[in-house]
Amino acid sequence: MPWCCARKIFAANLVLLAMMGCRSGPPVVAVIPRTTGMSLWEPERAGADAAANAHGMKIYWNAPTREDDVQGQIALVEKIIDEKYAGLVLAPDQSLALMTPVRRAVSKGIPTVVIGSALPLNPGGRLSYIVSDDEQAGQMAAARVGAILNGNGTVAIIGINPDIAGVLERVRSFEATMAAQFPQIHIVEKRMGSFNVPYEQQITEEVLMGHSDLGAVLAVTADATRGAYSALSELHRTGSVKLVGCDQDLLAPLVSGEMDSVIAEDTYEMGHRAVEWIALERQGKTAPAFQKVAPRLVTKENLNSPDIRRILGLVAQ
Amino acid sequence: MKARLQRWKWPALALAAACAVAAFLFLLYLRSPKHGLPYHDSFAQGGADEWEAFGGTWAVYDGGMRNDSDERGAKLMTGSPYWKNYLVEADVMLLGEDGDAGLIIRASDEEQGVDSYSGYYAGLRTRDNMLTLGRASHGWLEYRNVSMPESVRAFQWYHLKLLAYGCDIVASATFPLNSGHTTTASMTDKNCLVSGRIGLRSYSAGGFWRNIQARVATENDLRAMLGNTRTQTGSSEQVAGNGITIFGSGSLPSHLNAQVRPAANVEPVSSLRLVSSSQPITATIRGVVSLTAPLYVQDSTGGISVHTSTSPPLKVGDEIQATGTVSPGAFHSTLEDAKVQLLWARTPVQPVAVTASQAATGAFAAMFIEVEGHLRSKEREAENNLALGLEDGQQSFRAVVNAGRGDLLFNKLKPGSLLRLRGVCVVDSEYTHNLTPFVLLLRSTDDIEVVAGPPWWNARHVIAAGFVLLLLLLIGHFIYSRIEQWRLRAILEEREMLAHEMHDTLAQSFAGLGFQLQAIRNRMPEDMPALHKQIELACDLVRHSHEEARRDIMMLRTESFEQMELTRMLEQCAKKMLDGGNVEIAVSQTGDLRPLPLRINDTLFRIGQEALANAVRHATPKRISIMTAYTKDSVQMVIEDDGSGYDAGSEKKGFGVRGMKRRAAAISAAIEIATSPNLGTRVQVTAPLPAGMHLKYWAGKKRKSDS
Repeated sequence: MPWCCARKIFAANLVLLAMMGCRSGPPVVAVIPRTTGMSLWEPERAGADAAANAHGMKIYWNAPTREDDVQGQIALVEKIIDEKYAGLVLAPDQSLALMTPVRRAVSKGIPTVVIGSALPLNPGGRLSYIVSDDEQAGQMAAARVGAILNGNGTVAIIGINPDIAGVLERVRSFEATMAAQFPQIHIVEKRMGSFNVPYEQQITEEVLMGHSDLGAVLAVTADATRGAYSALSELHRTGSVKLVGCDQDLLAPLVSGEMDSVIAEDTYEMGHRAVEWIALERQGKTAPAFQKVAPRLVTKENLNSPDIRRILGLVAQ
Repeated sequence: MKARLQRWKWPALALAAACAVAAFLFLLYLRSPKHGLPYHDSFAQGGADEWEAFGGTWAVYDGGMRNDSDERGAKLMTGSPYWKNYLVEADVMLLGEDGDAGLIIRASDEEQGVDSYSGYYAGLRTRDNMLTLGRASHGWLEYRNVSMPESVRAFQWYHLKLLAYGCDIVASATFPLNSGHTTTASMTDKNCLVSGRIGLRSYSAGGFWRNIQARVATENDLRAMLGNTRTQTGSSEQVAGNGITIFGSGSLPSHLNAQVRPAANVEPVSSLRLVSSSQPITATIRGVVSLTAPLYVQDSTGGISVHTSTSPPLKVGDEIQATGTVSPGAFHSTLEDAKVQLLWARTPVQPVAVTASQAATGAFAAMFIEVEGHLRSKEREAENNLALGLEDGQQSFRAVVNAGRGDLLFNKLKPGSLLRLRGVCVVDSEYTHNLTPFVLLLRSTDDIEVVAGPPWWNARHVIAAGFVLLLLLLIGHFIYSRIEQWRLRAILEEREMLAHEMHDTLAQSFAGLGFQLQAIRNRMPEDMPALHKQIELACDLVRHSHEEARRDIMMLRTESFEQMELTRMLEQCAKKMLDGGNVEIAVSQTGDLRPLPLRINDTLFRIGQEALANAVRHATPKRISIMTAYTKDSVQMVIEDDGSGYDAGSEKKGFGVRGMKRRAAAISAAIEIATSPNLGTRVQVTAPLPAGMHLKYWAGKKRKSDS
């Protein structure tokens, strides 16, 4: 009899262990921005979280510690593929290098939504894009510069970092709009950019030294915006040279009026919609293949509007 | 069998229960919130094996733990995930002006990433001179920021304390150490994390930690720390609902030191190799630090060694500008007496993946490379350095790294393992000692990655496998022998039963038949000689058959074989046949006597019996010799008589001789019958023994020699 009991206990333990091993939680969607801990990308998390909660899912949130750590982001995507997540939302650090990992994820059947900027891969199947409308961002920046310079003056473009897809489109759109709508405003400098804030500061200082009558600076990346602001602040020219930045990261000068405006990407909407599309895929429905999300011009005047505060992640969602 | 199981069931159950209880208690002990507390680091002794890195470049240095990297959110963790209420404190120094460094408590789910962990963090921030306290849940939520009375500066020691008691989290920072002013920040987290590990963390600025202690905290500790709370100045930061913080006032500090401006006359590193050694020149280079001690810098064209006596504190990844005297080398240049200026932080250089053969050409000298090799040796060198000897293809090289946190890894590294290493490729004889083409200087032991363990087929494992195989063979042989014994015993038991049956039926019938014939003969009139003679003949036949039956019964009985050896059996047989005669019987036996397989023993006995019978019946000998000889792989039996013999050439092969030859053939034995008129007959049978008998032979010899 005791042997019999022991066998039963052993069998019960085995069943318990098997149940523990088979325990499964809600589906987890991996959300990998370019980096974390930045005002540009944290709203994406809030948006993704909100959508995941609405669909009974959870998100895994992580990214490289730097936007230029392409290898780190590739390693993260590989981990997501190996651990079989319910979906992948990726803001690629580099368009070419991330092609192969994304193709692998799609081929493994992981619904993948690329946000921010597109990769040179055709959408379709399990791959979708939700990108920021960079053409509109360029037009928006041109309109703002035109307005603050009253259609006459000089502007410099800094931070043209070709590693960030979409930046060149932003610049081209800006130039085209300026030429068409504000022919009296001249673009006096165009400088390549990097992921390095002090380098951007140095570039801006050189530009400011070279053009004493410069009316405005368009910084087309978050790092360039920081660098340009530091240079203007250092040279005490925040009052005379208007700074239009891109990709919300630096907001304090906006509040203080030391910076004119920022073209903000709506990363909250991108994250939210991306997780919704993955939920659609999981339900067997077809998600849209491509969508552009309009950026917003953030100024001191509209900073406290609910819409803008949501985009900037300044309110509890 | 069943009874034996029954006898052991209760002790076995008791043992299992005791084991389960012990395991449960051990698990309970490991999960105790006090297990491992109090804790004190052993950095002063060079030990840090219990720490686990998540990003950064961590190394034990000058009795403390140093992270030379600018990486945002680099972490180093230790302790138990079950620690609950405790206090951790340490001396903390920031290594950069734009970032923060501090302590983590109640941490879990750590990963590499800015805020990729769950736990509480308190740190000192240079950007806004704050003691900051908040919670990370793979995202950052800042709860409290308190201004420090003086600016938070790099390269100054602060004493930081972080306490968790229930859902109250308190942090304090004291500056200067020991006697300075203490600033405290506290928070109460309604849905708090209840347990977790401790850690060190830095953000954008590297950090240096020493005297790390952790101990169980009480309510008194909580009160004591809260008692230190000074009037909190208004925080310059506001907490947003989802953890996003913005700077509410003031301007950001300039990142670029006004004194340091990139020079215009910067030269590519590779071009310095063309400088003539006869005319030393001064040159300025700009590049990213790939190694701090010794200092190596790299730009897009190559790497260079920089010798400087005065240098600002540098971290891997810093972009610097250095001006000095160029000392061109065969494979790379050196900048002597250089003046080094820090420009800004950048991403650390990514290594170039090369093979050892490529690195051995010197083409990658002074550059940060990644190379794979098989570990051949490992040793500890002076100045707490670890040296690894490696090989890849035809090339061998060494890798040198400061031991730091690497003791555990060093002990785990097994010769033959395939390692992937990242470090600066150095070809100077000062490092290579002209023994290897290059040496790899690693930044920390985190630059060592074990790709694959040593191959299984090494000499030790082959010997072990051989030993195991031999053991298995012996066990197999033992089992086979046991099975053979069981089979033999079954046969013998069957024969025994058959013998009993024959004794009870056939032998008794012969006896009865003999009695009846005897009775008939006794009652027959004497005047019938012909009938008497026939009855006498019948009686003889019955007697003969009875004897045969008795012999067969004797042969079938187990004890006959178990107790009697072939020679003795033949001797007994001969004596019975000659019963009272004056024929001399000579018996001899040579070699190591041992039990023979039943089939061989039986067959030889039958042949011997036939030979003896032939001698007694037909040869009228004076002497019969019975000889047996046991050798390593055969047994030989000889029956020889000095009787009349017969002409072998005119031999009419009777049933007896044919029977002997057939029996001999059945056991693959060789039989020789030598005879001639008046010279007697010699029957010699040599039977091979099966292979298994050899072992018994050697075992018998061994026993004999031992005795």
